[in-house]
Amino acid sequence: MASYNLNEILKAKAGLTGNQVAVGLDDVARVKVLSPGRQVFKRFIRNRLAVFGSILLIIMFVFSFIGPIFYHCGQKEIFYKYDSQNINYALAKEITSYTGYSLSSDISVPRSISTSVNSVAKSLIEADEDLAVITSDDGAFLLRRVNDDVFMLAQMSGSKVASVGEGSTLIGTYDMIGGTISFTGQEIEGLVDALTKNFNRTGGSFTYEGVRYSYEKDVAKSYNIYSEMDGVVVFDSSLPESFSDAFEKAADNKAYSFTVGGKTFCLEKTPMGYDAYLVSGNEKNASVYTRLTFNVISSDVKVSDSLKANALLHINDGKTFDVDGTSYKITETDGLLILKDGNDNEVAELSSFSVRRYTGEDSIEYDLKKEIEEFVITMSETGATSEKLVYNLPYQDENGLYVYDEEGNLQYSEAELTITQRYTGEYVINCDQVIYVIDMFATSSKEHILGTDGDGFDVLARIMYGGRVSLMVGFVVVFLEIFIGVIMGGLAGYYGGWVDNLIMRLVDIFYCLPSLPIMIILGATMDSLRMDTYVRLVIMMATLGFLGWASVARMVRGQILSLREQEFMTAAEATGIRVRKRIFRHLIPNVMPQLIVIATMGMGSVILTESTLSFLGLGVKHPLATWGTIINSVSSATAMAHYQHIWIPVGLLICLTVIAFNFVGDGLRDAYDPKSKR
Amino acid sequence: MPPLRSGLEGRIFKMAKFIIKRLLYSVLILFFVMFLIYVLMYNMPTSFVETKARELASRPGATKTYTEWLADLNAQYGMDKGVVQGYFVWLSSAVRGNWGDSWQWTIPVLDKFNDTVWYSFALGLVSFIFEVIIAIPLGITAAKKQYSFTDYFTTVVAMISISLPTFFLATLLKYVFAVKLGWVDLTGMQGRDYQFLSTFGKFLDLAKHFALPAVTLTIIGIGSLMRYTRTNMLEVLNSDYIRTARAKGVPEKKVIGKHAFRNTLIPLVTMLGGMLPGLFSGALITETLFGIRGIGYASYYSMTQADIPFIMFYLAFISVLTLLGNLISDLLYAAVDPRVRLS
Repeated sequence: MASYNLNEILKAKAGLTGNQVAVGLDDVARVKVLSPGRQVFKRFIRNRLAVFGSILLIIMFVFSFIGPIFYHCGQKEIFYKYDSQNINYALAKEITSYTGYSLSSDISVPRSISTSVNSVAKSLIEADEDLAVITSDDGAFLLRRVNDDVFMLAQMSGSKVASVGEGSTLIGTYDMIGGTISFTGQEIEGLVDALTKNFNRTGGSFTYEGVRYSYEKDVAKSYNIYSEMDGVVVFDSSLPESFSDAFEKAADNKAYSFTVGGKTFCLEKTPMGYDAYLVSGNEKNASVYTRLTFNVISSDVKVSDSLKANALLHINDGKTFDVDGTSYKITETDGLLILKDGNDNEVAELSSFSVRRYTGEDSIEYDLKKEIEEFVITMSETGATSEKLVYNLPYQDENGLYVYDEEGNLQYSEAELTITQRYTGEYVINCDQVIYVIDMFATSSKEHILGTDGDGFDVLARIMYGGRVSLMVGFVVVFLEIFIGVIMGGLAGYYGGWVDNLIMRLVDIFYCLPSLPIMIILGATMDSLRMDTYVRLVIMMATLGFLGWASVARMVRGQILSLREQEFMTAAEATGIRVRKRIFRHLIPNVMPQLIVIATMGMGSVILTESTLSFLGLGVKHPLATWGTIINSVSSATAMAHYQHIWIPVGLLICLTVIAFNFVGDGLRDAYDPKSKR
Repeated sequence: MPPLRSGLEGRIFKMAKFIIKRLLYSVLILFFVMFLIYVLMYNMPTSFVETKARELASRPGATKTYTEWLADLNAQYGMDKGVVQGYFVWLSSAVRGNWGDSWQWTIPVLDKFNDTVWYSFALGLVSFIFEVIIAIPLGITAAKKQYSFTDYFTTVVAMISISLPTFFLATLLKYVFAVKLGWVDLTGMQGRDYQFLSTFGKFLDLAKHFALPAVTLTIIGIGSLMRYTRTNMLEVLNSDYIRTARAKGVPEKKVIGKHAFRNTLIPLVTMLGGMLPGLFSGALITETLFGIRGIGYASYYSMTQADIPFIMFYLAFISVLTLLGNLISDLLYAAVDPRVRLS
């Protein structure tokens, strides 16, 4: 025991100051005592790691809760930019298919006819013939070649006049009992009567309307009827004698048409041979087919479909024709077919070479079309597959807008066009154009300090808002955990007995529940239900809180078990304070230090869980930002390798926040109870 | 001698009684845990399950039709009955070892488990060994020199290890070692030429692919073990018998190595023993990110695909492992520390 003489100390003090000062006893004995709160605070700030953690947390809170207020980018704001990109500007090709323009509104060309025009027209050119007939169930049409580029489709009035061929085809079955014929194809009237007239049960043949038919037994009481062909069958008796021979000869030559006695006939192939149709000359023109396209020369004239059809009708004759009150004519100069109006102004050029914008619209000006055509011709001559040409295109400013001068005329600037031949034979023309695109993966700039991510979101804004959500999730979940845990633990600790037993068994059960798998399953389920991201957020927080209360309850119970044996509780009981007040006013405040520590540590682990879930895409979803989702958006192998400026800072941020919470929690625990660890 | 013998016998008897009691209690807890899990599965939206069943039936080489999958599920999991009744239907078949066919992997659940669990165990064991080797000496050193630089360093390292999100660490390691340095493959368990390697080559190839996941798990796991060791060592070092030993002039080396360390071992062995069953449980995130086809990987994909048979099995398995871990650590505590009264 150290000796302690008050008088001596007083003397020493007086001697030191040199003055006689009246000193009260209490002044000396007074020991400077700090309030418990300040004591804890003093101990806390002595812990450097804890202070570091607190500062980190303050920065983090300011960053994520106050930062967005002063930052100009929103969480879900998608940024766009104008970017010069090499686009497919145009497509050039030689037209090989025929397009039809209707000439008469009375006649509609059936689909079955129009679909075969293309192939028939090509075979006509190949055989160097002028006429062909196309038939279907909907009638017969005549295709006439005007020239290689233009074909006329006309509806024929008559039906076939003759057939030639060899062989037999099944046309139907005869049912002897019912006395009826079921035809496979077109029904032939009166055939039943002709058959029954001289019917033979073993089979036989008969002639009806110039055609030979045979029949033979198929199954009992049923006969197959065949139409027999051997040579020419003429249906029209008015035809001259020489027709049959000419027809046969034409069929042998596989001709498309032949002329006999001043009349022209067309041939059509049938399974057995050919059918002949008479070209009477009064066929009604239905539509005109062409592989020419109208390249408009002066852009103020609209070339309508009816003008096109009329122009095609007069393509060869050089006559003037009127459409909608204006007269036009077609002239051929230097091998170019030019459509001119009455004042001799050039309206359009008819060409089988088409140049279109890549999207299909015909908005390229005539001069450029001709230029490209020339290039393509030289390319096909030299065998080059790629060429460059420079041409004045409408000028775009950096915002992708076209620039006009004061008179409203488009401004042009030189652009380099690249013509490339594709393996399909088409030519594609590329050039640089300014287009409006989502500003993806932009590097850092004045506007976007950390750049943008794959969705065009500003990364810094996302990180700020992500921090907000992540911290908020932490708070809510920890609050829930503490709330449930304190009530359960308080009840268990205070009442003991069966209440304690029941609650502690519940705690054991909840301890055993694997929470991460459950959260993953929940996330996948909510995925399949396509739940709203805010609803998901709430459900996730509730579930995390519900799964996490067990440890809080266990701690609270343990503390209360020891506290309730202390004197102040006996006093509280003796004064007759109500039970609820005893628990929540006297016991729980004494557990507060531990609760604060557990809450601080819990914040860290909840943030970890949340970010893990969001990283897996099973927690908070796009477009809501959390730190986990930000990393998730660049977690694919390629994005990971190229956009490390996005995910590394965010990962460090998560790490730092959790570390800060743990440091503070540790510091608080040491400060509250210095004996607990050291 | 006789009194001691009988004391020992009494202790063994008490121990056996304790074990049986704890075992029965664990079974009871398991029963309720499984019930909760069953309720969760039972309430899974039917649309989700049906969509998945439909997808399964339309897969190439599907062995069962859509209705068959659902009928199987109902038959085995009692999904068409009430919750309680259905639970007993499932429990009776589960207890008999009939866990059904996995939807996601289209083989019996137990086959899939057998295929995967050993990879997980290997991964877990390797990282466990490294954790122990690294964390315990560091923790003891930190405690010996409390408030020194080593102590602070260890504390910070432990804190970082605890605070690192697994997915971030895994991504970071992948980025550095697979993308930048190119030492290992980005994901997967086997190299391209695995089939053509010799047995030893295969082993080396596997080891190479297991390196990064093992490192990840070790780094993540080190922190808590280090802190635990340090805290316990500090507690022991502050106890009276250490002061007594020092006062009696026992060399510091002997104080630490014999008196302190042995006593620290009590909580350590208890904790490590409790961790042992967890080696089988697989690492959900790590295995998924590194493409290690262990049980964690398998269960992750099962969970996202509503593979109820496999999920139920995995959750049951995890729960059993957790309870087993608690049981082992309780028993070890009782066995190692003679001061513990078994009551």
